[in-house]
Amino acid sequence: MRYYLEGQSEVELPASSVAELLSALAARYPSLSFHLLDSDGNLRRHFNVFVNGVHIRELNGLTTPLHPQDKVILMASASGGKGEAGYV
Amino acid sequence: MSDIQLHSVTLSHEEILRYSRHLLIPEVGLEGQLRLKASSVLVIGTGGLGSPVSLYLAAAGVGRIGIVDYDVVDSTNLQRQVVHSTSTLGKRKVESAYARLLDLNPLIQVDTYDEPFTSQNAMRIARDYDVIVDCTDNFPTRYLSNDICVFLGKPNVYGSIYRFDGHASVFFAQQGPCYRCLFPEPPPPNMVPTCAEGGVLGIVPATIGSIQATETLKLLLGLGSSLIGRLLLYNALDLSFDFVELKKNPKCRVCGPEADITEPIDYEGFCGVPAHEPAEGAAGPEWDITPLELKDRLAQDPNLILLDVREPHELRISALPGVLNIPLGQLAARLSELDSAREMVVLCKSGMRSAHALELLLSAGFRRVKHLKGGINAWARQVDNRLPVY
Repeated sequence: MRYYLEGQSEVELPASSVAELLSALAARYPSLSFHLLDSDGNLRRHFNVFVNGVHIRELNGLTTPLHPQDKVILMASASGGKGEAGYV
Repeated sequence: MSDIQLHSVTLSHEEILRYSRHLLIPEVGLEGQLRLKASSVLVIGTGGLGSPVSLYLAAAGVGRIGIVDYDVVDSTNLQRQVVHSTSTLGKRKVESAYARLLDLNPLIQVDTYDEPFTSQNAMRIARDYDVIVDCTDNFPTRYLSNDICVFLGKPNVYGSIYRFDGHASVFFAQQGPCYRCLFPEPPPPNMVPTCAEGGVLGIVPATIGSIQATETLKLLLGLGSSLIGRLLLYNALDLSFDFVELKKNPKCRVCGPEADITEPIDYEGFCGVPAHEPAEGAAGPEWDITPLELKDRLAQDPNLILLDVREPHELRISALPGVLNIPLGQLAARLSELDSAREMVVLCKSGMRSAHALELLLSAGFRRVKHLKGGINAWARQVDNRLPVY
């Protein structure tokens, strides 16, 4: 993620819901948008979003409300190493 | 792991001396060490994660360790894969690891599986082990490892790494979520960069691998609170350890109440990528150009646009003259700098990022575009060996 956030591991954005936060992120970092959202604008399924350490699936999904100081973690699956014999 | 059989297991004087620092810990003690000796662990992969995992489990006295790998040791491995050595370059990885593990601890048993871990052999290989440690490096094998652990009712000690980041958890469907609860679907092909493309700090797998080894020992010894139901997110640059809660996904297709995946499937098809062989570009082979074909094209048309989507620091390692450099991460925002009417070849290190860039360009309406199969490393091997391979 850091790669698409101009080297930052954390950013602060005003947003009142998770959906609003993702839209704001995509607007500020256009290259991230392609990775984050599919062609219909939905969050790609290999991303997971946690609000204060809890998966949004356990909350209200993308409509989960956000408050100042909430910490949102956006996590994509990682494959790992894979050398030259792999699928790169 | 309450089902580990302790009867008939004893420690020799030599073992008591070797494991004395364990025996001194009241939570481990003689019974704990006997449990480790009676235990078996399968380590899938002997790379960056599998190296520290297998070394520490061997040193700890886990009685039987299985190692699975189909690859050979090459020099790009040695920056992090510390179970291998310069002296074992070119050897089968399982042979290299076998010798090193038994050199570290000849009092254990090491079983080797010099083959890809596939839907056909995974259940047979994993069945006789107490704990499975996922040290794989690709999505098909990761999903396979998860699923067979669910089918066999075994814990799956998970780790993954990229650059300065690592994840670790214990997926054990009998007590918590599985990997599919978290990631129901793999990313689209080429969407997530690998360490072969993006790199990894060599010590990051040591950190994550030692956590996996610790979690494995805790499971075997029945100690502490495991990472079941929690995911560790580690970042070396910030030296941050974040934990998030994981719960079972009621819609999980492999461990949920209405699971419809009950045996190993075609994981390469599921993930859209082969686990064990190099892929064509994800957009299809008609968009590929080989290094030799590119050499001919450049001879005919020296003005052909070469778009290099690597990071600027990589071009200082090796580059073709006159390339336009737009890193993949900036490409979507800089499409206006490209002329879709002109023919263009996209390249990167080994063909993954360029395949991704190709998809992005095609979706933006570019048609006169190809990507260099195998990247600049293939160019260096096939056309110009004055360039280094990295």
